[in-house]
Amino acid sequence: MTFTGAVGALCMFPLRLIIAACVALRIHPNVLTFVGVLINVVAAYYLATGRFIRAGFIMIVANIFDFIDGKVAIELGAVSKFGGFWDSVIDRFSDLALFIGLIYLYAERGRTDYVMITAIASTFALMTSYTRARAESLIPKCKVGFMERPERIVLFMIGAFTNRMAAVLWVILVLSIFTVADRIIHTWMELRRHERGAAA
Amino acid sequence: MSATRALTLPARVLWHAFFWTYERATWQYDLMVIAILAFVWLPPPGWLGDPMASGQPGLVELVLRLLR
Repeated sequence: MTFTGAVGALCMFPLRLIIAACVALRIHPNVLTFVGVLINVVAAYYLATGRFIRAGFIMIVANIFDFIDGKVAIELGAVSKFGGFWDSVIDRFSDLALFIGLIYLYAERGRTDYVMITAIASTFALMTSYTRARAESLIPKCKVGFMERPERIVLFMIGAFTNRMAAVLWVILVLSIFTVADRIIHTWMELRRHERGAAA
Repeated sequence: MSATRALTLPARVLWHAFFWTYERATWQYDLMVIAILAFVWLPPPGWLGDPMASGQPGLVELVLRLLR
């Protein structure tokens, strides 16, 4: 087992208990998704006020909700197309809330350089999701690129808990740009392959 | 990807790091995570002009201080 695989397996243990509790209480997965974004707004407030440790703990709680909603939907037999749509739309709001919190923090401290870095990172974070969603309307799958939402969220937590948010923002920025580029290149190659196959 | 076969090993490594197609929990993913954590933790935050942590030591400096 790899290191990241072991960390994932370890985290799954308490999450299974929470999923079981939500299933027993028959909490609708769409409600869990919505609660997740509300808690993320609170985390954004603490980021905006520079209280990173508190923001980190709140992000953990918020992302438990984000993570378990799909699993609860499966367990309850409540999987729906709208649920998938709702989840991905709400996830974008959660992402943006955290970035806006940081933009406020750096703007208040007069650091326009980091305001710009955060704003561009948030743009590419959004484009990461958009390129995949748009690509998958043209090709069956576009799951390439490293910087997806789980990576971004874990990086935010690492940045908050260890007070290294600037380095984390640089990582998110650079790898999100690469991810968007990967998805554009992958879609172009797949479409070209498909067109050549159709022409032959 | 067949186009990468003609590249030298370092160029191939760079290509695969850029054109990322690996799943989570693979050794390639672990390596990427280690590289990211090294970038985040090892250098002093002042190098990036961190508005919240400038002046704090990086992990390397912290370990060297503890060893002294």
